[in-house]
Amino acid sequence: MSIPTLQGLQTALSGLLAEQQAIDVTGQNIANANTEGYSRQVATLQTNEPMRIAALSPTNGEGGQLGTGVSVATYTRIRNSYLDAQYRTQNAELGSATTQANELQQAQGVFDEPSSAGIASQLSTFWSAWGELANAPSSEAAKVAVVSAGTQLADTLNEVSSQLQTIRGQAAQQYTTITGPSGEVQGDAAQVAALNQQIKLSLQAKQQPNDLEDRRDLLLDKLSELANVTVVKEADGTDTVSFGDAGEPLVEGSQVNWPQALTAAAGGKLGALLELSGPGGALANYQTALDGVAASLAESVNALHTTTPFFTGTTAATIAVAVKPSEVQTSGNGSFGGNEVAQAIANLRGGTAEQRYASLIAQVGSDVQSANSDEANSQAVVSAINEQRQSVSGVSLDEEMTNLITFQRGYQASARALTSMDEMLGTLIEHTGTAGM
Amino acid sequence: MSTRITNDMVIGSTLADINSAQAAMDRSQSELSSGKSLLEPSDNPVGASQQIALQSTLDGLTTYEKAANDGAAWLQTASASLSNVGEVTQRVRELVLQAANGVNSQSDLNDIAQEIEQLTETVKQDANVQYAGQYVFSGTATNTPPYEQGASDAYAGNAGTILRTVGPGVSVQVNAALSSVLGEGQAANDGKLLDTLRTITENLHTGTPAALHAVGGEDLAKLDTNLGSLTSLEADVGAATDQLKTAESRIQSLQSTTATQLSNVQDANFAQVSIEFSNQQAAYDAALRAGASIVQEKSLLEFLQ
Repeated sequence: MSIPTLQGLQTALSGLLAEQQAIDVTGQNIANANTEGYSRQVATLQTNEPMRIAALSPTNGEGGQLGTGVSVATYTRIRNSYLDAQYRTQNAELGSATTQANELQQAQGVFDEPSSAGIASQLSTFWSAWGELANAPSSEAAKVAVVSAGTQLADTLNEVSSQLQTIRGQAAQQYTTITGPSGEVQGDAAQVAALNQQIKLSLQAKQQPNDLEDRRDLLLDKLSELANVTVVKEADGTDTVSFGDAGEPLVEGSQVNWPQALTAAAGGKLGALLELSGPGGALANYQTALDGVAASLAESVNALHTTTPFFTGTTAATIAVAVKPSEVQTSGNGSFGGNEVAQAIANLRGGTAEQRYASLIAQVGSDVQSANSDEANSQAVVSAINEQRQSVSGVSLDEEMTNLITFQRGYQASARALTSMDEMLGTLIEHTGTAGM
Repeated sequence: MSTRITNDMVIGSTLADINSAQAAMDRSQSELSSGKSLLEPSDNPVGASQQIALQSTLDGLTTYEKAANDGAAWLQTASASLSNVGEVTQRVRELVLQAANGVNSQSDLNDIAQEIEQLTETVKQDANVQYAGQYVFSGTATNTPPYEQGASDAYAGNAGTILRTVGPGVSVQVNAALSSVLGEGQAANDGKLLDTLRTITENLHTGTPAALHAVGGEDLAKLDTNLGSLTSLEADVGAATDQLKTAESRIQSLQSTTATQLSNVQDANFAQVSIEFSNQQAAYDAALRAGASIVQEKSLLEFLQ
C-alpha cells in the first residue's frame, strides 16, 4: 500500500486550522483579560488518528503509521476547584467579619467616647453639680444646675439606647432585604439554576461550556459572602449548592429552594446580621449593660434623695428626671443650710454606675478591636487565596503574546508546507509527459 | 512550578499597598490634629475605661478643691467674727474690773452698765455675720439670724453641722457652734456669755455692795470661763482651717498626678507620631512611584513588531 498523494495537503491544512483555533482562543483570553471571574482557556492540540500502512514487503518492511496532522482536542478552562472551595469558605468568614466590624463600629460611634458629649462626661458633670450644690445648698441656681445636668444625662442615656435599637433594627432590615423575594439570594440562586440547566444541555451536546462555568463560579463566589456555601459537582455538570444552615440545598439542578430559615450559624454576612440583631447578640448585650448603668444610677441617687425619687425609670430607654429644681433635696431634715444629702450624692462619683459604664466601654472597645482584626485577617487570607487563583486562572498578557507569536509562526510554517506540497504536485502534473493534454 | 504572575495580581497588590500606606497616614494625621492617641475605645479598650475613671477622678478633685476653698472662706468669716467677740469680751472684762475695784458713783456704774449693754448688742451682731448670704452661726438654719437684736437672747438657729467633703471619706466641719459660748441669756440661766453679760449689767444697775461684790467675784469668774470657751472655739476654727489648707495642697498634688496619668492614657506622643508620619509619607510616596511604574510597565506587546 502506498501513501495517498494528497495526504500531505490534508496534514498541512489540519495544521493551519488548529493554529487558527489556538489563535482564536488566545484572542478570547486577551479580550477577557479584565473580565471579572474569567478563567483563561487553553486549546489542547492533539495529533490526529494516524494512517496505518500495511507491511510492504515480507523481507524488509514492517508496517508503519503515518501522521495525519493535528486537531484541537479540547478547549480547557484552567481552574482549580480546590482553591474555589477555600476561597468561598474564607469569603464567608470575611463577609461575617466585615459586617460585624461595620455594625460594631456604628455602635461604638453611638457611645461617642471619649468626648465631652459622652455619657461618662455627663455623669461626671452630674456629680460635680451635686458637689457645687453641697457648697451652696440654698442656691436656686445650683439646684437648677443639678436638675439640668441630670436631665441631660438621662436624655443621653435615652438617646444612646434608642440608637442601639435603631442599629439592631437596621441589621434585621438588611437581612430581610437580602433574603427577600427580590433579594440577592433569590436572584443569584435563580441564575445559578439557569446556568446549571444550560451547562447540562451543553455537555449533553458535547460542547465544553467554559464561559458558562465561569459565570456560575462568579455567582457562587458572590453567594459565599452572604453565608457558608458548599458546592457538590454532580455528574451531569450541575452544581448542588448548600447555603448557610438551610435544611434544603439552595440550588439543586435547575430548581431553587428559597426562602428557607437561617440562624446565626449560617456564617457570612447573613449569619452576622442575625447574630447582631438577635436577642443574645453584642448590640443587645450593650443595651442590657446600659440598662444596668441607668438602673444603678437611679437606684443609688433615689436611695439618698428620700423626699421624692430624683429619677424615674430603671432602664436606659426610660430613665428621666422626676423633680423640679425647687424639689431638689440637699439635707435629710429639710433644714435650709444642710448639705449632707447633696454631699452624699456627690460622693457617688466613681460608684457602681460609673464602673459599669467604664466596663461597658471597655467591652465595646475590645469587641470592635477584635472585629477589626478579624476583618483584616480574613481580608489577608482571602487576598492570598485570590492571588493563588489569579496565578492559576488569570490572564497574563505577556504569556498570551508569546502564545500568539508561537501559533502565528506555526500557522506560517503550515502555510509554507502547503506551498511546498503544491509545488511538488505542480511538478508532477505539469512536467511528467503530455498524456491528456 | 513557578508562580505565574498575571496583570490583575500586580494591579491588585499595588492598589492594596497604596491603600494601606494611606490608611496608616490618615491615622497619624488624626492623632496629630487632635493631639489624642485614644480616639475611639477600640484604639485601647482598657485605656478607654481608665480614661473614664481618671477623668471622673480629676473632675471629683476639682469638686473637692472648690469645697475646700469655699469652706476656708466660710471659716475665715467665722474666725474674724469670733476674734471680734473676743475683743469685746476683753473690753467687758476691763470694765468689770473697773467697776468692781474702783470707787464709782452709781451714775458711773450706770454708764459702765450702758456700755456693757451696747457691747452685748455688738456680740449679737457679730454672731449674725453672713457668708454668701448664709448665717454662719445658725447651724444648718442658715437663713435665720441666730440672735435678735434687743432684749431677747434666744438662739434661733439649730445644732446642725455643716460639712465640706474635701476627699474620699474626708469631711471638715466648717460651722462653729458659737451658740455654745453665747448661750440663751438670762431666761435660760445657763451661765454662758449673754447670761453673764446681762447679769453683770443688772448687778451694776443695782449698785449695792453685795451686787458689786458679785460682779467682781462670780460674774468675773463666769466671764473668764466664757472667754476660755471662746478661745477654744477659735482654736477649733483655726484647726479646721489648717485641715482645709492641708487638704487643698494634697488635692493639688493629686490633680497633677491624675492629669499626668490621664495624659499618658489619652494623649498622643507628638515626637513619636511626627516621626511615624514622616516614615509613612515616605512609604506612601514610594508605593505611589512603584505603583505608577508597574501599572505603566512596558509589556512584551511593545517589543513585538
